[in-house]
Amino acid sequence: MSTPKPFRYPLRWRAMDFLEGAADRLWPSKLSRFTGWLFIAPALILVASLAAGLVEIADNSFRKLDVETFRMSDDYSLDNYRTAFASDVYLNVALRSLGGALLTTVLTLLLAFPYAYVMVRTRSAAARKALLICLFLPFFIGQVVRAYGWLIILGNDGIVNHAISVLGIEPQRFLFNFPAVVFGLVQYMLPFAVLMLAPALTAIPEETETAAKSLGANWPRAMWHVVLPMAKPGLIGAGLVVLTLALTDFAMPAMLGGGSQDFIANAIYDQFFRTSDAGLGAALTLLLVMAGTFLVGVVLSLFGAGTLAIGRRT
Amino acid sequence: MMSGSQRFWFWAVVWVSVITLSAPTLVVLGASFTAGNIIAFPPEGLSLRWYEKIVLARELQQAFLRSLIVSVICTVISVPVGTLAGIAMARFTFRFGNAIQMYLLLPFTIPLIGSGIGLMMLFGQLGALGSLWPVGLACAVINLPFIIWSVASSAALLDPDLEHAAANCGAGRVQTFLYVTLPAVMPGVITGSLLMFILAMNEFLVSLLLTDARTVTLPVQIYNSIRSIITPDLAAVSVVFIVIAGAAIALLDRLVGLEIFLKSK
Repeated sequence: MSTPKPFRYPLRWRAMDFLEGAADRLWPSKLSRFTGWLFIAPALILVASLAAGLVEIADNSFRKLDVETFRMSDDYSLDNYRTAFASDVYLNVALRSLGGALLTTVLTLLLAFPYAYVMVRTRSAAARKALLICLFLPFFIGQVVRAYGWLIILGNDGIVNHAISVLGIEPQRFLFNFPAVVFGLVQYMLPFAVLMLAPALTAIPEETETAAKSLGANWPRAMWHVVLPMAKPGLIGAGLVVLTLALTDFAMPAMLGGGSQDFIANAIYDQFFRTSDAGLGAALTLLLVMAGTFLVGVVLSLFGAGTLAIGRRT
Repeated sequence: MMSGSQRFWFWAVVWVSVITLSAPTLVVLGASFTAGNIIAFPPEGLSLRWYEKIVLARELQQAFLRSLIVSVICTVISVPVGTLAGIAMARFTFRFGNAIQMYLLLPFTIPLIGSGIGLMMLFGQLGALGSLWPVGLACAVINLPFIIWSVASSAALLDPDLEHAAANCGAGRVQTFLYVTLPAVMPGVITGSLLMFILAMNEFLVSLLLTDARTVTLPVQIYNSIRSIITPDLAAVSVVFIVIAGAAIALLDRLVGLEIFLKSK
């Protein structure tokens, strides 16, 4: 008769006990009220690097570049801001960016709404999957490769020009103008807009539309009076994201604008890397950040965070 | 049900979007297999010569390797940070909750060029420019809301009673977290990590600002080469991105289902 083996705790239990013990010592239960803060602290610290960066930008923006020694001045002045506001060049660039961004937002929402609507409402699971893949593939491929694709298609020596020269038509200049940049921005923003709109549309019960239609509304009226108002949080969230991303985009104006259609980000980049005037560049950056933040702030305070909201609904 | 004319108009617009979204991808794929020297229409036959060329191009390979390293750094930093923050945002009430939400959205509300220039100056002061970890860290910061978002929406679906039940059955705080909370938010964590990896892989502007000639990542390398002349070898390199994007989508669909993005909060 063998003696029964003494019961041994499984390793996992012991590991758990150790972890619980460590947790009790490092973060006693009476601190439980602050566990949320403990969880969120690393994220707060990471984001703080952006705030520190902004402080750094602000500091530079008040220092003037000495053109003789090519050094930044030690004392603060508002000279860079004066230069920025006095110059017609930056006013033009700012107006072009704003106009382009507004146009992009309107066009993107016009394309995104039907896309999101069809994707959410279609009965066919295969169609829904296909639409999702068409959305994610470009989103995951990145701006540079997509712009490169358009250069191949629409460039001066591109596919379309080769095709029409076969038909005997003179080559056209499709790219390196303002419409090309807006087009590039629209196709770049479309996945963002659809992905922000879709959850808002999912939340609208289909019965509301059926009810509107059974009461005699045709589909444009059902859309206008029922679906669009209910989709407002999604539309605002999507519009806001598209507007700010388009306003501050760098790659599309650089690649499809061909240097003649600079947006604000391109002008800032040039200040830092071509002219090497970090002071003026920093002043322009800070002005852009303030304009962007102001825009977002106005929309958020007027309409709430919409689909941008993280976490608990209040 | 959509009525006949609504179906027609909506699908017409959807087709325009689908073509616009897919055209660059298809053309890049096609151009990479062309036999001709320039990008021509009609294509001048099929070949793999451009792929042979990039297999030998050391610069491109190293740029690709650097992009991979940046993505890994970004994912390793952002996933734990974002997961904890996402859980916290969904499960805890904070004093100044709205302010915290606004603060955590800063990476989205500060224009990318602003974040990039700020981080460039910051890392410049620390003397860290010229290595790859600042690029990975920067990618983690600027895309952080994505993972907080996806984890928070998973966590919001978890019934708090399940955690209470676990505690009631004698599970400690760590055990409850590891066996109840974490598995419940896993779909959000998976989605978030894939997003973070892919977005870091593709990140262009911040890479452009934070890298120098010795540390360029692949998107920057492609951008710099486009400037001079369009040749199909760039198309062959770009196919790397298409393949990675395809793999990420397949993985995402397999693990959590793409339909997760249609769910309302």
